[in-house]
Amino acid sequence: MMAANWAERISAFSRSPSRFLSGTTAEAFLAELLRELRDDRASYSVKVLLLSPLCEHPALLCPSDSVGEETALELMSVFVQCPPKFVAFRCHLLLALTSVLICTSCVSGRSRGSQDFLDLLLEIVQDTSDLHSDGTLRSVCATACDCLRELEACCPGLLSQRLELLAGRRQLESSRLHQPFAALHTLALRNAVYQLTQEKGAGAEHLKALLGGITSVAWEADQDSGLMNNKDSAILASLILGPMGVVPTLQTGPDCKELRSVLSSLLEESYLLTPLCQAALLHRLTEVVAMVPGIPPAIFRAQLLRLLGTSEACLLHSTLLMKCAFTDSLFSAEDEAFMLKRLVVLSQHPRLSTHEKLFYLDCILHFPENRPISSGDETLPVLLTPRLASALAPTVFNDSATLLSRFNLLCLVHLEEGEEAEEGQGLEYLHDHLTALLHIVENGGSREIVVTFFRAAFLFLFYFNHVERYSTSLTEQLCKLYLHHTNLAPHLINLADQTQDRLPESDWAVGLLTAVQRVITSITQLNPKDLKWHLKMLVRVAEEGEIPQTSTLSFLSRVITPSFSSLCESGDWRQGNGLLAVCRRLLLHPSLDSLLIPLADILQHLARCYRDTDIQDHARLYYTLLTTLSREKLAGVMKQGATNGERQVKKRSLSSLMSEGEGLTSLLTIHQTERAIFRLTEAQSEPRQESKEGDFDENKVEKCPDEANAALEAYRAQFNDPSFASELTLKYQLAHIDSHDSRFDQLFSIRLHFSLTDDHYEKLQDISVPCLFREKPSPTVKLRLKPRRPYPTTLHASAIVTTQDGLSWHTAVPDVHVAFEQTFMLLPSPPSWGEGGRLSVFEGLWEDICSENGESAISLFCCQLKEAALNALVETHFLPYLVSDPSNKEEFKLLLFLPPQCHILLKISSKEDAVHFSIATDNWLLLPHIGSYLLTITASEEDPPS
Amino acid sequence: MTIRALWIISQEKGENVSIRFSRRFSTVEHRAKSLAGSSYVAVPEESTVLQLLLTELGLSDPDKAYVALRDDCLHRPRSPALELRVDGPGKGILWPMLAISQGPLILACLPLVDVPPEPRPPLASLLSVSQGLTLLAGLQTFLLGSGSKPDGEGLVSRLAMLPSVLLQVCPLGTPLDVPLLGPPATPTLPASAGNQKQPAWKTGLHRGRAVVNVALTETVRSMQYGNRSRQDLWDVFGTVTCKCEVEGVLPNVMVTLSLPPNGSPLQDILVHPCVTSLDSSILTASSVDNCDGSAFSGPYKFPFSPPLEPFRLCSYTSQVPVPPILGSYQLREEENQVHVSVTLKLHESVKNSFEYCEAHLPFFNRDQMGVAEVKVSYGQLDVSKEKNLLVWVLGQKFPKSLEVTMEGKISFSGPTKGPADPLCTGLTAYIKLYFKVPDMTLSGCCVDQHSVQVYSSAKPRIATSRELTSKDYFIWNSTGTAPVASGQTMM
Repeated sequence: MMAANWAERISAFSRSPSRFLSGTTAEAFLAELLRELRDDRASYSVKVLLLSPLCEHPALLCPSDSVGEETALELMSVFVQCPPKFVAFRCHLLLALTSVLICTSCVSGRSRGSQDFLDLLLEIVQDTSDLHSDGTLRSVCATACDCLRELEACCPGLLSQRLELLAGRRQLESSRLHQPFAALHTLALRNAVYQLTQEKGAGAEHLKALLGGITSVAWEADQDSGLMNNKDSAILASLILGPMGVVPTLQTGPDCKELRSVLSSLLEESYLLTPLCQAALLHRLTEVVAMVPGIPPAIFRAQLLRLLGTSEACLLHSTLLMKCAFTDSLFSAEDEAFMLKRLVVLSQHPRLSTHEKLFYLDCILHFPENRPISSGDETLPVLLTPRLASALAPTVFNDSATLLSRFNLLCLVHLEEGEEAEEGQGLEYLHDHLTALLHIVENGGSREIVVTFFRAAFLFLFYFNHVERYSTSLTEQLCKLYLHHTNLAPHLINLADQTQDRLPESDWAVGLLTAVQRVITSITQLNPKDLKWHLKMLVRVAEEGEIPQTSTLSFLSRVITPSFSSLCESGDWRQGNGLLAVCRRLLLHPSLDSLLIPLADILQHLARCYRDTDIQDHARLYYTLLTTLSREKLAGVMKQGATNGERQVKKRSLSSLMSEGEGLTSLLTIHQTERAIFRLTEAQSEPRQESKEGDFDENKVEKCPDEANAALEAYRAQFNDPSFASELTLKYQLAHIDSHDSRFDQLFSIRLHFSLTDDHYEKLQDISVPCLFREKPSPTVKLRLKPRRPYPTTLHASAIVTTQDGLSWHTAVPDVHVAFEQTFMLLPSPPSWGEGGRLSVFEGLWEDICSENGESAISLFCCQLKEAALNALVETHFLPYLVSDPSNKEEFKLLLFLPPQCHILLKISSKEDAVHFSIATDNWLLLPHIGSYLLTITASEEDPPS
Repeated sequence: MTIRALWIISQEKGENVSIRFSRRFSTVEHRAKSLAGSSYVAVPEESTVLQLLLTELGLSDPDKAYVALRDDCLHRPRSPALELRVDGPGKGILWPMLAISQGPLILACLPLVDVPPEPRPPLASLLSVSQGLTLLAGLQTFLLGSGSKPDGEGLVSRLAMLPSVLLQVCPLGTPLDVPLLGPPATPTLPASAGNQKQPAWKTGLHRGRAVVNVALTETVRSMQYGNRSRQDLWDVFGTVTCKCEVEGVLPNVMVTLSLPPNGSPLQDILVHPCVTSLDSSILTASSVDNCDGSAFSGPYKFPFSPPLEPFRLCSYTSQVPVPPILGSYQLREEENQVHVSVTLKLHESVKNSFEYCEAHLPFFNRDQMGVAEVKVSYGQLDVSKEKNLLVWVLGQKFPKSLEVTMEGKISFSGPTKGPADPLCTGLTAYIKLYFKVPDMTLSGCCVDQHSVQVYSSAKPRIATSRELTSKDYFIWNSTGTAPVASGQTMM
């Protein structure tokens, strides 16, 4: 019980420490953890769990060094008292101690606790008594080594006086423990050598003394080795930085055979380490050799072939870093050519994973050349010829990341070619590839392909926008693409924006926008779905002062002409805003003078004819501004609102126009409410029947066929009309949420917008509600749902409303949950059939379902219910769906219809042991929903409130 | 050479996303702070990391067609090292966030940048990047098994094992090893092997009879266009997998690969880290080089000391002169039907004894298949009208002539739309071949049982095998346009 509780709390803490600690304090939580850790009754598996907050967030739990120190002392006493057999706990405890001491700077401050801990660790690693016993101590010893390594890593030089001890332990160890010792030893060695490089006059003698452990023995609290206090973090950093990095050196002369023998021994045994440890060791040793010029880099040569042939990324990587450090003192020009070829091979080797290949591709762009010509981001190695790089050409079969990386690399390779010849095969290939991608997009490629294509297009333009042949053809292709896929407008706008930003000297973006304008304005048949995107594009086109806007205006005036589109009559608010956005942009256009009359005409028409008051108002305002303000003043007023901030911001506010001082912005902007102001609650309703008034035609009264199969057939024939009984109407009450913001007491023109969270239903229409007053009865809203599958669902909802003061607000509406039982409907049998007919359909369906397998299923649900309870249950939940004789209490037959065309049939009967609900349905996927529904309703009957 | 934090996330196409496991390494974070100085960006809490990561991977807001943060064309996520743009008080960029994903899992870790952070250093300067990738891949294999299809329960139980696994493989943020796949071997004691050290990658010692298994698998890929202006492509890559049960702390084994006379050299050889030494001539041949007739062509000797578990000793690629099966595919649109004509020809050098051989002809972006009047000269034809797919089962053997044909007409007049594919529109269509030939390789490469040497006292039992399988073996309709599949055409 407690254990489960702890698991939950610990995971809550690690999910969000800040939220967790807002409910308690760090101090209290820490105290609790420590108490539980000391508690003998707690299991050790729970205790391991308790250590994780201390490992992951020690600084949060121990805000000061003194708390850290105390905590460490506590943990150490727990360690001492813990029986040796709880190996995992002891190991985790060591990790927790290390974390606490390092992160509270107890180690760098050399506190008493950290010294005790260091002594403890050294004692563990020197204890060889376990060597021939059962090996339980060995994992504790390995962890102790890891802890020492971490202490040395965070506090470099800590173990510099222990090098001989560590070397001895490593050499002696024949079990797998030699690995942690090797890692520890190399790091301590590297830090000790670095320390020497920083000391004036240090040389071969000092190095020898260090390796032989001749200097003062222990780490004393008052000893000041200089580096311990070194605030400079340089020692923490890798020393291999490539040609520009400077490595501190230790002048020893050629005489450093002690170091050489240590290095040789480490290298010889490096093969015995796991690839990850091997790579780290090689890297550390590379640093050591780089710091001591007395040791020739050739010391690594024996390992090189093995490393160059490896399939392990980290081993090859450490070799590349070696090349970076030693360049031609270890790698000949031939080696260099070989390594580059090797990288090209690895970047496309069929046996490697995608992420490895991408990593190698990146390594090519940062290849450590022996004689680099330039340095900087992404320069190609000289040896990477177009021929060699052709192996890395992107194809449409690549995943997006690979495709773009390869595309970028090939662009770089052919950059010069493009400048010189403009006829290069490589450039041609890249262009063809881009076209191939475009075709995929054209043919309905996924969102990922679309994004990838636009990224590739940007790269291509970035490198080759000056090659007119291609950039012009790309413009044409994009226009064509847009015409068929207008929903790509945001991508095109983004491409135009970014090419303009990044290539200020190129006018490609303007060219593209002009072409798009031409395409849009010469459309002869307007698809209403596309209009929103056209308007978005035209807004962007209008941002360009150089692009003449006459054609845009004539397009707008055509759009509002009834013969061309029914926009004005529809009074669609969103589309109206789209139109206004173009007009607003045009008000800022430098060529406004020549646009004045047609623009004024459009605005006037909108103000008069657009069937939405809000749009009319805005159009009138713009009209007034346009016709009354002088050109300069208008520009001044408009620019205040429009030029501040980035493009992003400008687009977001639909109608931002004036500065706040004018008091107009707030009127023209849609505001966002902080919280929801109303919600939809389910209205108690009658069982639903899809009834179309007037459908019931007296003359066509048909009698229900007597025979079940015939009844079923006649019933089914009704569904030949696909719209028959396909909708579900749910009634909701729209009501204020109790919050006392009087601004929202009276709301007008409420437009509710719903979005689906799954694909079980068709998209919903927006719903308009004229008004909502807090004091008046709440209006009923009818949601017409068209299920594809009648499953429970959740709808996201939002609304735009107008308050009494004329402001428009966008507000979130709490999710609307549609429960499974809300999808139940009465059987849509012809009204003339009556009870008997429904029973016939029931029998027919039941037989049908029992005999065929396909989608149908039968199932049984049992529960304990008294007779009275059962009757009550049928009464409350199922009465309208009852098709059998209500007086027959032996067996109830229920028939539930769920649109579009699903049925649930229930036979409920009391048997001696339980009530049996025999279920038959023609859609087996409904079974789990039925089960949980029955469970819920029967559970409530089982224990009636007494 | 350490990582600051690790996350394991499960998701289904950007939905039902949750962090299943996370671990922060506080001491590494402590170092990150002092290394980065003023440019330090703290690792945000889980939910923020998750959101940023999904945006960067293009998985956030799956129902929205365009999201500026996610889809900006300027921003190219440089997988596998992503940048997370942290907003709010701890504003800044977290880089390099390594993320790999397979099936329902995304694994991510943040390596420590141990070189000056400004200007941004190249990825290649950070050893922790390749180490982090290795660790993530190891964890991925551990969690999902070698197949990509995870079973829910297995995943949950493996996730529960992670704390103890990380204690072994990545204590305090330093990756030391990848997790073992099997149950941990009982720690065995060095059998007083003198001063012979046990490799850290060997979890125990084998006792009993020595058994060595060497399996050679070659895979052939192909793109055939049947078009004079477009060169057909095919390539072969091979893998040698070993399972060695040999006594001793550090036993020596040698496997030799040999080629027939005139065989073209093995290229792009990659070896397992347990290979003790390599001859430089083995590494010289490369697929990106001009083939040089005088190149070394074996025998290829690989001396190694085996780990306990099965491992991939080496892999290679090879350039063979002809594809094993040469196909031609022609589609003609005739009013409301499509005329299909296919010829497949098995090359005489290929052993005519398949484990299976099938040709799949999918038809995309058309109405559902109506009538299919198709005759095959050999084998059996399955028509799947729902999937708009013809499956031509050739079985175990080609006929004596080594050539099979298919001819016929298909109408697409079904009431519903068949499957769609944005690549295969109009007459762009392909046949995909699936086959496996036991006991042969295309390159001719083989491991002779007698060439496997085990330097130990007892006589080992040695088994070798080889096989050829196809992968991505496409034959494109020659009357339509086919996608370019290689940059070779550039040259």
